[in-house]
Amino acid sequence: MFLTIDTDDPRPIYQQVADGIKELIARGKLAEGALLPPVRQLAADLGVNLNTIASAYRQLQEDGLIVIKHGSGSAVASRTTTERTRDELLRPLRTALTELVLAGLSSAKILSMVLRELRVVAKGSK
Amino acid sequence: MHIANEYLLIFYILFWAVRIRGCVRRGRQPLLRGHEWFFNVHVQPDFYTGAGKKILHRYWLRMLIPFVLDVPITASIFIPEYLQYAAWLLIVQAIWIHINHVYSVAKAEREARPIAVPEAEQPVGSMVLSLTPRRLRDYTNPYAEWALALANIVALALLFRYYFADPQHQNWRVVFAVPAFYLYLQVGMLFVKRVVLAWRAPVPQAQAAEHMEAREETRKYYLKMCDWNRALSAAGMVFWSVVIRISPAELDRVWRIWLAAWLVITVVGTVLVEIKRKQLITVALRARPVKMPDFLHESEIARWPVCYQPSAPMLILKGARGYSLNLANTLAHLGAAYLAGMVVLIFFLRMGR
Repeated sequence: MFLTIDTDDPRPIYQQVADGIKELIARGKLAEGALLPPVRQLAADLGVNLNTIASAYRQLQEDGLIVIKHGSGSAVASRTTTERTRDELLRPLRTALTELVLAGLSSAKILSMVLRELRVVAKGSK
Repeated sequence: MHIANEYLLIFYILFWAVRIRGCVRRGRQPLLRGHEWFFNVHVQPDFYTGAGKKILHRYWLRMLIPFVLDVPITASIFIPEYLQYAAWLLIVQAIWIHINHVYSVAKAEREARPIAVPEAEQPVGSMVLSLTPRRLRDYTNPYAEWALALANIVALALLFRYYFADPQHQNWRVVFAVPAFYLYLQVGMLFVKRVVLAWRAPVPQAQAAEHMEAREETRKYYLKMCDWNRALSAAGMVFWSVVIRISPAELDRVWRIWLAAWLVITVVGTVLVEIKRKQLITVALRARPVKMPDFLHESEIARWPVCYQPSAPMLILKGARGYSLNLANTLAHLGAAYLAGMVVLIFFLRMGR
């Protein structure tokens, strides 16, 4: 299971790490209960500040995607444990759709793009 | 000459033979990837006929430094027959040779970088991270661990039985000094395993599988080396628990068998290590070296030879003047505590001599 970090990506590294792990969870490559490497290991491998990876893990924990147990590491949380409201879940979708509309794409084009991406993401998930 | 000293001499001669082989191997190392490379630096085609020639020669000369220093030290040990120090000389030389090599490679690469192919010196744009946790238990053979634990327990049980059979007449330091030292060495090997496991493994996206394989194989090799050393220490403990109760008449024969066994193990082990090294080189050559991005600006924050960077998770940082030991790292604290413990242990055990 690999995570790709791109130096040309405008997103900060912690965001790339969080998004990458989210994607792997969504695709089912990181199954429920799967252990994640300790913050220290990931930070050392990447050669970044410990806080960078800690921030990514914190964000994933706030999103209900991972469970951080002090002393025994972090693991992918159960999907049913997510406590986010419908509004919270819709917010990133709305932001992404706004970007696409502002980019001048038609509704049909956006819909086909969304469906294609959904198929890719949902391929490995339950 | 005492039997142990005879064997020490044989070990020392063997050590020299291995060293000459090692020196030749290290001498060839800069050119392993062909004439377009100097170690892991992609160089200009005229590198070895131009400025690179001097860098290469300087590297070769640095490889000879341990030999030069060895001659007077060896003479001062062997001529007055202070052979009890020869074992320490072997250990110190082995460590010194490795440190000298790592330092020389880093220095030679640093000297070559200004005249390298400019494009190759650009850090890669994307890198890959493994999300598999690296745990000691994943690299541990439970059967081997049980065997080691059993050997240690049996040896200690035999020694305690021997000591408590007649505690009035036994010097506990004589009985327990050797096993205490061997046990401490085993703890040290476990610490080294932790360091190997924590070793940084950045991988570029291009050829990620090849780079990952090279790092994983190297990691496994070093971890196996640690386990072999632990096994030898455990064997030493078992031998001590046997030899301490043997009558003086039989002692000489048992020592001969033990040292002959060591000699065989050393020769076979050296051959196996050489074979494994060749396999590792083959795997490593498949991965094209690249420069990784420096997110932490290590070259600016890491002073040579030590630094204190609590936010950096690595034990060793690559500074502008070479490698720098990060004193803020937990492993550095553990290592310092271990070395201090070793000094205390040796002092404590020698007090009773």
